Amino acid sequence: MRLRIASKLRKYEAVGVITVRHQLAYVTDFILRSLFLLLILYVFIQLWSAAYAGDTEAVIAGFTLQQIVWYLVFTESLTMASPRVAEKVEAEVKQGDIATRLLRPLSYIGYHLAAYLGEAALRFFVHLAVGSLIAWLFVGPPDFGLGLGALALLAPGSFIVAFLLLMTVALCAFWVEETRGLEFVLQKLKFTVGGMLLPLEMMPDWLQSICAWLPFQAVLYVPARMAVSYDAELLRTYLLIQWGWVAALGVVVMLMYRRGVSKLHVNGG
Amino acid sequence: MSMADNRPERAKPVAVWRLVLTCWKLNLAGAMEFRMSFLLTAGMMFVNNMIWLAFWGIFFTRFPVVNGWELQDVMLLWAISAGGFGWASMLFGNFTRVATMTAAGELDLYLAQPKPVLIHLLVSRMSLTAIGDFLFGLAIYAWVGDHSWLGAFRFGCGLLISGCLFLFFVLLANTLVFYIGQSEGLAFQVFNSFLALTTYPSDLFRGAARLLLFTVVPAGWISYMPIGLLRETAGFGFLLQALGMTLLLGTISIAAFYYGLRRYTSGNQIMMRS
Repeated sequence: MRLRIASKLRKYEAVGVITVRHQLAYVTDFILRSLFLLLILYVFIQLWSAAYAGDTEAVIAGFTLQQIVWYLVFTESLTMASPRVAEKVEAEVKQGDIATRLLRPLSYIGYHLAAYLGEAALRFFVHLAVGSLIAWLFVGPPDFGLGLGALALLAPGSFIVAFLLLMTVALCAFWVEETRGLEFVLQKLKFTVGGMLLPLEMMPDWLQSICAWLPFQAVLYVPARMAVSYDAELLRTYLLIQWGWVAALGVVVMLMYRRGVSKLHVNGG
Repeated sequence: MSMADNRPERAKPVAVWRLVLTCWKLNLAGAMEFRMSFLLTAGMMFVNNMIWLAFWGIFFTRFPVVNGWELQDVMLLWAISAGGFGWASMLFGNFTRVATMTAAGELDLYLAQPKPVLIHLLVSRMSLTAIGDFLFGLAIYAWVGDHSWLGAFRFGCGLLISGCLFLFFVLLANTLVFYIGQSEGLAFQVFNSFLALTTYPSDLFRGAARLLLFTVVPAGWISYMPIGLLRETAGFGFLLQALGMTLLLGTISIAAFYYGLRRYTSGNQIMMRS
């Protein structure tokens, strides 16, 4: 039994490894993307430095300027790590390529999850390295104690919730022609109520209580907040929140997939 | 026969105008063919921009004034940037795709026709999402803008210059494909960076960064408009300077396109206009 599970998992591991190798072939694309990250982080550093009036000692909503800048490095790295899975799934459904995927001895969702995790992990490390360079230069090294360990612990959950959110949008392709608009809105929800652009503590109380009930915070805010301000007790709560959302969204994705694939008609071959 | 005789006859302005109008009419008709998709796409872009404004709303609730900028200034900045990009992409929708089309050999289609290549290429596509951007710009102006005649004139000039700067700068970045080959990725990142820089207050930047914003990457001419042009107390000095920059950039980008076009080698691609 254990062997069967292990051999099944090896298939998905192979998908992840192949995806990483595939990504390494596009080094130029990686460098260009990283340059954009540098620019965005530079803009944010200027914005937050102006907001803090250059005062490195000031604490606003529990964050110093240094913490805010590193918080942005982590949220940006996690955001830019996300591969374009919704675009791929939409194309597969529209063009009928999904038929060949369904023939393989792999779960359709499992295949995309393995590929997503492989690519996201690689991109995250590259962007984190690039982002760290500029943050280090402007506000000094990340002196956050166990925070970085907490980030490593929360990053996998963040990737999986992000993947499942994208999948809920991508699988809409079974019912509607165009999902890019929905993907755009999802992305912007992560930027705002997900805490990419500013930590939830900086938001008005009424908005914070809404955000607490949404899955978006589990993707960006939770790992980045814990990285710059470690709290052992809160870490347990955050892990529960993240994996709770993984379970809930996992059920939604599986239901959508089963209903969608049952009404799929692919012509030709 | 001299070289001059081989050159194609210069198109008459009236004929060019007729071509442009026909393309715009056909683009719009094409968009209307899939009305639901059109409304959804444009609507989503409108919502997307509103979400960004929500971020700024939250930001300015905590920090009411940042380097002299208030929420209303940033809202007008978004109106100018999104509105300008919107009209440029509606009317000249291919300006972001010149590098990709060139690399794929798709210029053959335009070169084979007795029409001015650049204008024909640019007006052959309308971006549906951009309609949402343009309407967003107008809606924000209606919400927080100055509705006097002078205010409307200032906003109109701002939109016009912003759209032209987007058009010419992104076109210039796309012409790199003629000189350094496969540069679609680079052109796209330059476009993305320019777009991002036009949506943050120019007064956040000091020193060399500010100099770059008003020269090499001229996004500052757009992102300074809420202060330099749209405020009631603003004179018209900035408007004249921005116009000068637009003309200069326009001349450089058009020259770069036609000079680069001489280096273009056909892909022998057979295509049909659909």
